[in-house]
Amino acid sequence: MKNLEELKKIRERVKRDLELRTGKHRIKIVVCLGTCGIAAGARDSMNTLIDLITRSNRNDIIVTTSGCAGFCEQEPMIQVYVEGEEPVVYGKVDTKAAEEIFNQHILNHQVVEKYLFTKGK
Amino acid sequence: MKDIANHIFDILENSVRAGATKIEILMKFTQGCFYCQITDNGAGIKVKEKEREVTDPFVTSRKERRVGLGLPLLKSTAEGTGGFLKIYNLEKRGCCLEFAINMIHIDAKPFGDLTRVILDALICWPETDLILWLDNGNNQREEIFNSKELKKILEIGDLKEKQIKDFIYQSLEEGFKKIGIDKQFGYL
Repeated sequence: MKNLEELKKIRERVKRDLELRTGKHRIKIVVCLGTCGIAAGARDSMNTLIDLITRSNRNDIIVTTSGCAGFCEQEPMIQVYVEGEEPVVYGKVDTKAAEEIFNQHILNHQVVEKYLFTKGK
Repeated sequence: MKDIANHIFDILENSVRAGATKIEILMKFTQGCFYCQITDNGAGIKVKEKEREVTDPFVTSRKERRVGLGLPLLKSTAEGTGGFLKIYNLEKRGCCLEFAINMIHIDAKPFGDLTRVILDALICWPETDLILWLDNGNNQREEIFNSKELKKILEIGDLKEKQIKDFIYQSLEEGFKKIGIDKQFGYL
């Protein structure tokens, strides 16, 4: 790969911002990325979520991925784990739904009934 | 799957699930034929499943459901254009998958965003080393991406940063453009 030196410089430049933003994760979003999820467009939803997190400047939210959960008809599916709250699973989360869920559930702790698949364990 | 990018991401996930710590991707695009080879060092194909059977949708080792569609879908995408798909275990550990798609065929799917696939793979599976080679058709391989080297100067958390993400995206895209992947038919 080329231009590694250049990348190094960019990193130095943004490093200070990064240092301010490292902390413990309190909210975890899991995007199901099996064959079914990918075909349904889960990668777009995931990227939307990552962008939203970066834009919101929150350092306590992480996005991870998992394989197929076995409910392929509900894809793209995401699981939201908020510390101290019941885990929530959303189904059919396109980019628009991802934005809604992020704004309502993740920022304001309100479950979005419209896309709710299951709640609890 | 809407595009080839999604297919490739799906195949990469297979490798990761098989416990691969290193995945090498080689892509070649000449005279309208797209060739891709993905080599990993994961668990490979189990003897029980057999190499010729993994492209059968009803052969799977997972427990959530009884069908596995990733490989069969890619196989039909490739063969529908007159291409092929081969998958076999390597002598040492790991497995190798090769496929070719005739992009000029009317049934060929668009490439989609291959650059995004590499970035997404890096974000999703930070522990896995990802190496991307491009072949310009003269059998000269050029390494355009190596996540191991990238990790020497970056941490995975840095990838959230837009400037860094854009920089990697652009440098990858330049590489893809060189072999014509930004055009459906490439450089004929």
